Amino acid sequence: MIALIRSEWLKLRTVRSNITMACFAVILPLAITLLTTVFIDVYSVDDATVSVVLLGSGSLSVLLFGIIGALAITQEYSQGTIRLTLAANPHRIRAYVAKGIVLAILSGGLAAFIILVGNTAGVAILDSRGAVGKLSNGDMGQAYLALIAIGILVSLLGMAIGTLTRNPPSAVTVLVLWPLLFEALIGGLLSVAFSESIFKWLPFQTGLNALRLEDYELDFGRWGSVGYFGLWILTVSMFALVRFKRRDA
Amino acid sequence: MITVEGLTKKYGSTIAVDSLSFTVKPGRVTGFLGPNGSGKSTTMRCMIGLDRVHSGIALFDGKPYQELKKPLHEVGTLLDAGNAHSGRTARNHLRWLAMSNGVSSKRVDEVLELVGLMDVAKKRVGQFSLGMKQRLGLAAVLLGDPKVVILDEPANGLDPEGIRWIREMLKHLASQGRSVLVSSHLLSEMALMADDLIVIGKGRLITECTVPDFVNQYAKKWVVVKSPQLTSLVSLAQEQGMHVSMGSNLAEFHGAEAAMIGELAAKNNVVLHELSTQTGSLEDAFLEVTADAVQYHGHAETQSKGVAS
Repeated sequence: MIALIRSEWLKLRTVRSNITMACFAVILPLAITLLTTVFIDVYSVDDATVSVVLLGSGSLSVLLFGIIGALAITQEYSQGTIRLTLAANPHRIRAYVAKGIVLAILSGGLAAFIILVGNTAGVAILDSRGAVGKLSNGDMGQAYLALIAIGILVSLLGMAIGTLTRNPPSAVTVLVLWPLLFEALIGGLLSVAFSESIFKWLPFQTGLNALRLEDYELDFGRWGSVGYFGLWILTVSMFALVRFKRRDA
Repeated sequence: MITVEGLTKKYGSTIAVDSLSFTVKPGRVTGFLGPNGSGKSTTMRCMIGLDRVHSGIALFDGKPYQELKKPLHEVGTLLDAGNAHSGRTARNHLRWLAMSNGVSSKRVDEVLELVGLMDVAKKRVGQFSLGMKQRLGLAAVLLGDPKVVILDEPANGLDPEGIRWIREMLKHLASQGRSVLVSSHLLSEMALMADDLIVIGKGRLITECTVPDFVNQYAKKWVVVKSPQLTSLVSLAQEQGMHVSMGSNLAEFHGAEAAMIGELAAKNNVVLHELSTQTGSLEDAFLEVTADAVQYHGHAETQSKGVAS
């Protein structure tokens, strides 16, 4: 399994589009956080400023992790390397799991890096600009951990969607439209028939809500929301895995 | 050794491979022939588990492909030279493959040297010609030093030097005791390269034999005669019901043995300057045997023009 994971890691890091996407995922939230801390009115700063900006912009990175996940598998189909992958390792479940582990480590690692650098630099900038009072709060750590977890889950979701569609544009479209359009549309329509409470059952809505700094207003709590989102991803991944195992390569 | 038993692959109601059975022996190059759409590539994909089979099995030294722990050490396959990420360098393409089966980076450099791509090892595959991609594909086949080699149209896109190189390479691999299964549309190449043949049509086995046996069995034979008294010999032969076609200074006797013609000439005091048996090529034999199995027929342009005029 270690050999497979190393092989998948090499595969992922030797394609330029993956590197570009990963760079975007890191630079985007850091740039937003740093620019915000440089230009914000220093008297309007409170203990949540850095983390709110970092978590908000981090959710864009989460989506990019999903796209990396989708591309990691769809590129194999579009370039034909899936045949070499499965010829080199005919145990398809192992091949899928190895790729998933690499994606989880990459997205988790990048999310941790974003948090570490973004928070440290953001606080340092505000501090140097003479911001008064505390620049961190108690809920920050849990929210940051949730960002790492959601990042990992969305990259696995991207991989599962990619496995089902086998086509890069389709996979990326589904992944982007799911949170931005489908859930808003479905939620909006169903809320007429039922109630606003329908939104709490929408996976992305609930998953991204776990990134809120205060979790007291969340229906399932922070980790309950992550768990609910994770259940959805587990279901989609299981479906993808069954298809991956059965379909011709 | 490869043993394929009763392999059947269906796409909906279409049977692509129909109860196909054959063996590929070690130490021999086995040609896998069939018209377009006959199921050669599908069979190869099914053999290594890329496509799911309806029934049947392919065994490599008695084991199904799925049971091989490090398959690259047992079976090397080249199904499509295009199966490489265009953005990855040649060396990195081989490195990830090698890594997955515990093959060292040193071996990657060895095979790159062997196929003549060492100088372009750091170039992206997208910049490669088809011939270079074929060489890269062959490098991937050789990575694990496998006992069995399976190649689908490996000479596609290669220049004459490359074709000769791959022929020598495959013969060399077989001479080391490996089982080599290779499909190709270049029948002249196959005649030079293969020891045994497996011929399929519409997914079914047509014949499995050695190349000489195949040509002897299926290629047409005829007797060529040169004689100063050709006209009288032809008349005598036609009286005996032989089919003869006349050229300017020779005649071809179809459906007759050289001995019969020789005896006929001797009995009638006909002087012969040449009496030889001619046999059709592997291509002739192949076209003869697969005539009923060809799905897509082309027509010469001159035929349609003739009708139009």
